[in-house]
Amino acid sequence: MTPDPFRLITDAASRTGEAALALAGRERLRLAVTGLSRAGKTVFLTSLVANLVAAGAGRRTLPALEATSGRLRAARTVPPGVEATPRFDAEAHLAALAADPPEWPARTEDLSTLSVLLTLRRRGIYGQVLPDREVTLDLLDYPGEWLLDLPMFAQDFAEWSDATLARLSTGIRAAPAAEFLAFARALPANAPAEDSLARRGHALYRAFLLDARDRLGLRFLQPGRFLNPGPSGDAPLLWFFPLPSAARESPLGELLARRHEAYLRDQRDRFLDPVFRRFDRQVVLVDVLGALHAGREAFEDTAEALSAISATLRYGRGWLDLLTGAGIARVAFAATKADHVPEVSRDSLASLLSDLVDAPRRRAEIAGASVSVHPVAAIRCTQEATAAHEGRVAPAVRGVLLENGRWATVDPGLVPARRPPESFWNAAYFEMPVFRPPALEAGGRAGVPHLGLDGLLSTLLGDAL
Amino acid sequence: MRPAMSETAPRPPRVILEEEAGPARLDHGWEGGTEPASIPSAGFSTLSLLAIGLSALILGFAALAAGNYVAEQFARAAWLGWLTLLVALGGFGTIFWAILREFRALLLLREVDAARAAFARGDFTGAKAHVLSWAEPIPLAAPFLPALREAPDLPALRALLESGPLASLDGESRLIGRLAAVQGFAATAISPSPALDALVVGWRGLRLVRQVAALHGMRPGIAATASLLRRAAFDAATVAATEVATDTAVRAIVSNPLVGHVVGEAATGAVAARRLITLARATSSACRILPTN
Repeated sequence: MTPDPFRLITDAASRTGEAALALAGRERLRLAVTGLSRAGKTVFLTSLVANLVAAGAGRRTLPALEATSGRLRAARTVPPGVEATPRFDAEAHLAALAADPPEWPARTEDLSTLSVLLTLRRRGIYGQVLPDREVTLDLLDYPGEWLLDLPMFAQDFAEWSDATLARLSTGIRAAPAAEFLAFARALPANAPAEDSLARRGHALYRAFLLDARDRLGLRFLQPGRFLNPGPSGDAPLLWFFPLPSAARESPLGELLARRHEAYLRDQRDRFLDPVFRRFDRQVVLVDVLGALHAGREAFEDTAEALSAISATLRYGRGWLDLLTGAGIARVAFAATKADHVPEVSRDSLASLLSDLVDAPRRRAEIAGASVSVHPVAAIRCTQEATAAHEGRVAPAVRGVLLENGRWATVDPGLVPARRPPESFWNAAYFEMPVFRPPALEAGGRAGVPHLGLDGLLSTLLGDAL
Repeated sequence: MRPAMSETAPRPPRVILEEEAGPARLDHGWEGGTEPASIPSAGFSTLSLLAIGLSALILGFAALAAGNYVAEQFARAAWLGWLTLLVALGGFGTIFWAILREFRALLLLREVDAARAAFARGDFTGAKAHVLSWAEPIPLAAPFLPALREAPDLPALRALLESGPLASLDGESRLIGRLAAVQGFAATAISPSPALDALVVGWRGLRLVRQVAALHGMRPGIAATASLLRRAAFDAATVAATEVATDTAVRAIVSNPLVGHVVGEAATGAVAARRLITLARATSSACRILPTN
């Protein structure tokens, strides 16, 4: 992303306005919830909103968050104004989870935003005589697939094609991508700008992407809108695919390059600017357990995807960042679905995530951002149990299965504390069953049972509340 | 083809289905576990018990003595008996009427509490019922009654209350507070001794509490006024806390030697006046059916 002087000036101006408001006790905090598809962003946001609102009503839903023990006077969602972005409907998601039969939120198809207004009593003795502070927490939900478009902004069509084709030709991707690769490599050096060719290539490439996501559990799949077109659906600017260098100078190659450029421009206006232009805190949700159980390639693919995304974000608090509000001051990595492993394995889960995100973690730390890693379950669906294995009792978790409503004890097996050795992968390919959400009160007034959400919020937002 | 699970792996992941059917959902007991901590009420205080016992003795024995006396009078002459009965009934009736009124004022305060609790619980039907029974006797709330009856949900009810009756009541309370402040200030300016100042401001404060309460549809007697004063002092701590800043500022200005030279003894009066305004706000906040935001 090249710095744009005009953009820097407008950012600095709005930042100055915000600093003035902060001095007057009205702060704005932008929390970017980052996560690859199916990492649990929507559930995380739903639980976050429900538990904050409940804590604002005096309930002890987030005990580790210091502000909620006495200083948080009220928390409410900001009523809708004249926003063009759809509103994140936390109430509807919660009602669906509490309904009978319960439903987990469907795949997110579009951007949606929500702001939570926290009214806080000030700290210290002088705080008692000054009026309350108001902190607005801006939250955003979006399709996780689109996140993988971020690294594409640093590449032109040729670079992107080369990198993508290289990835496609190796490992478990090669077999499902074979048909597309055969088609792309067969294109002549003077391929005409014929629409049927472009459509055919696009359809084959898209079929591969869908297969890789749904069957192989892979995440590093670009471009994001091929997998999740969003509300505008299919459009001509999507009809491109990575092209081998041999055919790139052809009229078809030029057409595809133009579409690639138009796609990036559109994504910048539609997704990048509203979401990733400015935010102060970031939480990165990773379904480590899912990646671990999907096998070595899926695991490494997740690590690579996270590293590529974080390479495009700006961390730290330099003077320019402070002026434009572009730097991320605190980052929390969260291993989601931590309730799927017994308590004894949760530290290993966090440590495994820490190892998995080693590269982005170091980048953020060197830039001066404060980084933490947590095992988290936004909605706790299991309880502790034990399972016998070859005469020995092993810790496990127990819950109700979503599909048939039967109780099941799940022993998730060994959770390695760091990247597992080659021998470990022999036992991979386990599909974790989906649990039913626990008994919830539909209005969500009591919040939502969770694991570690308060600890995460405390390190991520504690200083600002 | 996916490779099969290895037999050599230390502990492969497993799902063990349970045979017997359990409850349809897992229950963490979350709702009970996150209840806001509440301090259990210790019941009647020692002073209240003493007062109740003393009143029971005084009133009970007085009633018994009166009964005896009426019976004696009937023995003397029928007309004398009837006259004594009439006097006794009149006297005791007035006393009981006063007690009843006192209890009704206290009950109205409870109504405010119940409505607040219903709002906090999110119980729309309960909140609406309490709000309507609270609003009916208040003249300032009369124009908003139809809208309150038609409120579709809790946020709408809250918004209608805030923008309608509560806004008018808050405004009126402020007006009464300001008037009391002016009167208190004037009284301290002409009073001959500081001791009398305290008496005047204290009396004006009590009257102010009753005036604000009357505005909110209450007719507080001694017990209800005491209860209101206690609530104004404790419940509305935030109002008082924010007022401390203004109070300190007023004190700083009027205690400045130069200003003090000009305004003289009126400085203490200014502080007292400022306190009366605070008291009006605190009382209004204690009588409010929705907590002050």
